[in-house]
Amino acid sequence: MVLILSSILFLLLVLTGKTRGVKTFGLFYLSIFLIIVYIFMMSLGFNAIIHAVIICVLVTLVTLFGLNGVNVKTKSAFKAVMVVLLFIFLLTFFIGMNANIQGFSAESLENIGGYSFDLNYSMRDVFIGMYLVCIIGTVIDTSISISSALNEVYENNKHLDKHELYESGMNIGKDILATTVNTLYFAVSSGFIGFFMWHYNASFGYILNYKSFVQEIFKLLICIIGSILVIPITSYITSRALVKDNK
Amino acid sequence: MKNKNLIVLLIILFVISIISIVFVYNDYFLYKRPILKISSIKEEVETSEMTNEKYYTQTIYGTIKNGKYKGNKVQLINHATKSGVYDERFHKKSELFVELTNNGKEVVSFSQIKRDKYLVILLVIFLDLILLVAGKKGVKTLISLAINIIISMVAIFTFQEHYKTLNMLILYFGISIMFIITSLFITNGKGKKTLAAVSSAIASMFISFGLAFFVIKIYGKPLPYWTLEYIEAVHQYENFFYVTILLSGLGAIMDISITISSSLNELIVKDPKIKLKNLVKSGREISKDIVGTMTNVMLFTCYTSIIPLALLLIKNNIILGEAISRYGKIELIVVLTSCIAIVLAIPISLFISTFILKPQNSKGGNK
Repeated sequence: MVLILSSILFLLLVLTGKTRGVKTFGLFYLSIFLIIVYIFMMSLGFNAIIHAVIICVLVTLVTLFGLNGVNVKTKSAFKAVMVVLLFIFLLTFFIGMNANIQGFSAESLENIGGYSFDLNYSMRDVFIGMYLVCIIGTVIDTSISISSALNEVYENNKHLDKHELYESGMNIGKDILATTVNTLYFAVSSGFIGFFMWHYNASFGYILNYKSFVQEIFKLLICIIGSILVIPITSYITSRALVKDNK
Repeated sequence: MKNKNLIVLLIILFVISIISIVFVYNDYFLYKRPILKISSIKEEVETSEMTNEKYYTQTIYGTIKNGKYKGNKVQLINHATKSGVYDERFHKKSELFVELTNNGKEVVSFSQIKRDKYLVILLVIFLDLILLVAGKKGVKTLISLAINIIISMVAIFTFQEHYKTLNMLILYFGISIMFIITSLFITNGKGKKTLAAVSSAIASMFISFGLAFFVIKIYGKPLPYWTLEYIEAVHQYENFFYVTILLSGLGAIMDISITISSSLNELIVKDPKIKLKNLVKSGREISKDIVGTMTNVMLFTCYTSIIPLALLLIKNNIILGEAISRYGKIELIVVLTSCIAIVLAIPISLFISTFILKPQNSKGGNK
């Protein structure tokens, strides 16, 4: 099944994007491989948070420089992604430490019931790490979109100074933002269908404090916050890098 | 003048944010269930020799913050592990929902930790950021998001009330079309551009879903639906799986459709005499840049959710490959079908957008 769907995806990517399609497909499977390596590292007992950061940096390097080459665009995007990663790290760490959003809820007992829970490995770290890896795709996507669009703008209007460039970066960002929020909402929305059916008769106050609900919302919001935050940061860094580059 | 207004708005935003956070830190009166605020914890640790797991026995002292027994000082005992797979280790300052007995002097059980404040903090950061970065467009995005959430809830309640007679998949086809129409029209306004995007998105949705459905039905052995979360609650297992496939890529499809239709529209407005061939060529150039990172968005947001479960299995001596193929298969299929939908949406949007935006070669469509 996976094989057939993968082949269809590969075929479509090659038909629409030629060599770039092949690269995209390679990147897709490399990312899956990295996620699996991450799980493997954790199973060996390595620290989940530190390795999540390493995986994020690796994915960013490969996606930006591997897919789009080394240039002003990708360098600026890389810096911006790193800044956002740091901020999200702090936010996730604060909430992960306090809100007890690690582990499983009663709905998962069917799946996990038969196993031993004595892992000697902190699930809190696993969840913090998971959220970090989770945001990286959308943050990179937004960042590279803005920095390449800004580059395009600058190529066509060399007279622009860095403030004007920054403004146009923000304008491009606003358009991207609306669709990104939409994309992310639908990517996780099917989880909510099941959740609300399970807790159909539960009170609002109960749901609002319920672990797996908070986990899902947290995932959605942290992804959105990451991709909003990356807009001004990328615009700022790219506008400065572009103008400085040519003076 | 404009700057002054902006500063006033910023101050209002800031004040509202602070008030909401302070409010949610003190909203005990909103809950009927008694809330216990922990004042101190005595903790004993035991280490298992077999697994090296640390077991904590926490004696928790605290005060009831609401209801009839407000102010009562109570204590309770909590067992937790270092791993925390299914139990919770509490911290000082944590607040718990508890059940009381004996005139509010003893704790029978505790159900949840109070998490609403963290939700509100995140929500405030999200709202502030979206308004600061995107201004009016941010408001539009929020309205469209709110309407989508309302539609989602209505759909869930409708299905829950009529699940015996209603086919979930057919219901969600209707709902998805509503999602597409409302989201695109709210964020992009009326006009040919949006019309083109809506038609492209609906067509892409049906074609890519049809392809996925066909492939899974024809070639697929029975899939492990039971690994989907909450599956026992949704009454129609197989349909729920297809609904997941339908919805996951929907946002991405809309993204591609509107990007292509608005850039084609831009090209036509700038040069009404542009040749069809050049239009398609530019459209393909634009879409090439989007696809590579979009597929990764789907991958990272959806596929990472397998991490905790896969890790639990591996720690239980199940080999990596087995753990991932057993519990990650459905997720991977969902991600793959969404990515196929993304890639398919490009030629479909290109075709439909050129068709709608440029009906005759001489007249340029715009608005």
